[in-house]
Amino acid sequence: MDITSVITDVFSDFADPKKRIFVGYFALSLALAFVWLIVLRRKDSKGALRKIFDKKVWFSGSARADYGIFVINQLVTMLISPLLLTQLAIGTAVFFWLHNFEYLSRGLFTDMNTAVVVTLFTGTLFLVDDFTKYVVHRWMHRWPLLWSIHKVHHSAKTMTPITVYRVHPLEGVLYGLRSTFAQGTVIGMFIFFFGGSVELATVLGVNVLSFVFHVTGSNLRHSHIQIRYWPWLERFLISPAQHQVHHSTDKRHFDKNYGVAFAVWDWMFGSLHLSEDEEEMTYGLPEAQASADNLLDIYTRPFVDMWRVITSRTVRFVNWIRA
Amino acid sequence: MRKSSLALTAILSTTMLAAVPAFSESYGPYPVTLQGYEGDKTNTVSYSGQIARQVLEKSLKSIAGKGNGGENAAEVEAMLLAYFNNEGDLDIISPVSKDGFPVLQTKVSEISSSANVAGKFYKGLVPGYPGAQTGVEVIQHMFSQAAKSNKGFDAENGLDWGQLISKFTMGAMQYNQAVDNYLDEKMTADNKPNNKPYKDGAHYTGKEHSWDEAFGYWGAPAHASDLDGATAYAVAKQKDLASADANGDGVVDLKTEYTFGPAYYAAAADKSGTKTTNYLGTIMQAFLDGRKVITEANGEALSAEELAAVQGYAAVIGSEWEKVLAEATFKYAGSVYKDIEKMKSLEGEELAKAYRAYGKHWGELKGFALAIQTGKNNLGATAVELNKLIGFGPVTLDNSFVTGIDANGDFVRERRMTWNDYQLNMLKVQKLLQDTFGLEALINDATADLAALAGALETEASAETD
Repeated sequence: MDITSVITDVFSDFADPKKRIFVGYFALSLALAFVWLIVLRRKDSKGALRKIFDKKVWFSGSARADYGIFVINQLVTMLISPLLLTQLAIGTAVFFWLHNFEYLSRGLFTDMNTAVVVTLFTGTLFLVDDFTKYVVHRWMHRWPLLWSIHKVHHSAKTMTPITVYRVHPLEGVLYGLRSTFAQGTVIGMFIFFFGGSVELATVLGVNVLSFVFHVTGSNLRHSHIQIRYWPWLERFLISPAQHQVHHSTDKRHFDKNYGVAFAVWDWMFGSLHLSEDEEEMTYGLPEAQASADNLLDIYTRPFVDMWRVITSRTVRFVNWIRA
Repeated sequence: MRKSSLALTAILSTTMLAAVPAFSESYGPYPVTLQGYEGDKTNTVSYSGQIARQVLEKSLKSIAGKGNGGENAAEVEAMLLAYFNNEGDLDIISPVSKDGFPVLQTKVSEISSSANVAGKFYKGLVPGYPGAQTGVEVIQHMFSQAAKSNKGFDAENGLDWGQLISKFTMGAMQYNQAVDNYLDEKMTADNKPNNKPYKDGAHYTGKEHSWDEAFGYWGAPAHASDLDGATAYAVAKQKDLASADANGDGVVDLKTEYTFGPAYYAAAADKSGTKTTNYLGTIMQAFLDGRKVITEANGEALSAEELAAVQGYAAVIGSEWEKVLAEATFKYAGSVYKDIEKMKSLEGEELAKAYRAYGKHWGELKGFALAIQTGKNNLGATAVELNKLIGFGPVTLDNSFVTGIDANGDFVRERRMTWNDYQLNMLKVQKLLQDTFGLEALINDATADLAALAGALETEASAETD
């Protein structure tokens, strides 16, 4: 592997419409932010641009750490992704397993109209993906062992679209597994019931629903531009401002808005928090918990913290046995 | 200037000509190399006994379909045994001339009058067949069952005898004789050496003839390296006279111009499925290359290097042939899977028709699964698993299936299985074969849709988190 191809691979996400930071989505997000600031925040164009390209945000210590993490994580991903389970393995296991039920018949709906099948598959895939993201994200916050890892993401003191890459590699692995299981299961089930006509509805090779999610400003979730929706809509779809609430240091915002695209999961499970008008929010974690800009600390602290969780739990367990 | 460009053209064209592979390399004729031979023979290639056996195997399949439900059982069984033993002046029953595809020979004796199937049949135990019987006992049991069946099909047990007999024989005779005898012990230094005649009075050496015998069991036309999978397949189906008739005399000589069983299934794998395989070409080339080494030894005993080279080609033939049998087993496991799916929604006449097709495919599946266990490799746990998954008989319409044979040699069906469970078994058969043998043609892959969809969504799997 030569160095140029490695560099190309590291930055390939910018050219990949399947990724949030694809240049097209990035440009649309900037445009969206500009229009939002002019029309709804009554700024002049100069003021809007100054706000969008705020040096204090884009070049803060936290943001610069994000850029470093981006490169390191891309390299790590290249190394470990071939080792992970594939969707095909999960899909095949599910497909095999479904044969065990006598009341389920393979190819039950093979005669169904293709357009219906494609719509159903595309919707289900997106829904299951989104729901499992909600669940895993919730666990990340609720379970101390996982929170040790997820702290890396919440240690960002300023947010830019690149902050989406600010995750510990272990979290990357967990999310990769989640995606494999979610998509593998849906694929296995659909092929079992609907046969060969199952296909994904795509735009630029991307799930059409993911595409909609990205062109409507998914990059602004990690930004300082607080785009809000109407309160009724924020019960169904998570607005960028709602995700910023999720990152807020304000205690009343803790453990809220775990959702990615849909807000209904938060609504159903009591973790929904609607955005509030132009609140000045601060982000990040206390230095004692996680560093915003020290790369060594960012990568190693989760292991130390996990070890602490394990030892303290073990001690507690041993004491409980003795008592 | 002009001179030099002319010279360049001349050099280039000579190089290009030299670079063209000898694509019309045929298996034989090969010169006599036997030291001290004084006869007038000029060609050492001789495998007519094997071709006679190919014809007998193909004919047995046709005869197996001649039963009328019991009345003519004795007659059919006698006929099967006659062809098994090559007794009497036998007509070739298959392949015979067809419109646009005339066949030179009509009698087995025109090919060979002494070669029989019986003497070359697998004598080891066949664990995939009920009753703990040897290969020869199994085929004889199959004959007696075929004889009392109705047009070769035992509907009650779901067994298609023509398919079972023909596919099992392709392993128990052709494959076994080639890979476990001629290409195995007869390719060692002291067995059938190259500096002696194959047998007293022969004009070919021990190694030459052993290699040719193996080629005869493989069953490809001598000019197979000119044919791709689709063409060799069409020749077997008697649909392409031009490609079959290598010497242009207007008739097909079964001895050298026809595609028989084993080679036919290699061609079938190459022409269908993923189209990424070249079993026919690879095996044919190994036969040609091995024969070349032996011929070039010029009647001397093979040196250690020559022997190693020949054994290397033999190993290629053995492993590719095994894969061809595994590909065929894989294919029919997929057919059985699809047949079950189809039958689930059918009734009456249509169901009966689909059930007949299912029985045929199951017979091919089982026949090939038995065949692959007759080679020189001990398949161990793979064979055990394969036999368990496929069973002794297909799941029949009342969900019962053959579990063994009683003291009279009649089948008993003491268990039941659901269609779904049996479908799952077929998926496992495909997976087992694919994993064990590294198959690539993968015809009728029951999980192909799944793989295609998962492949299409591969990069969709994003680790993006929030």
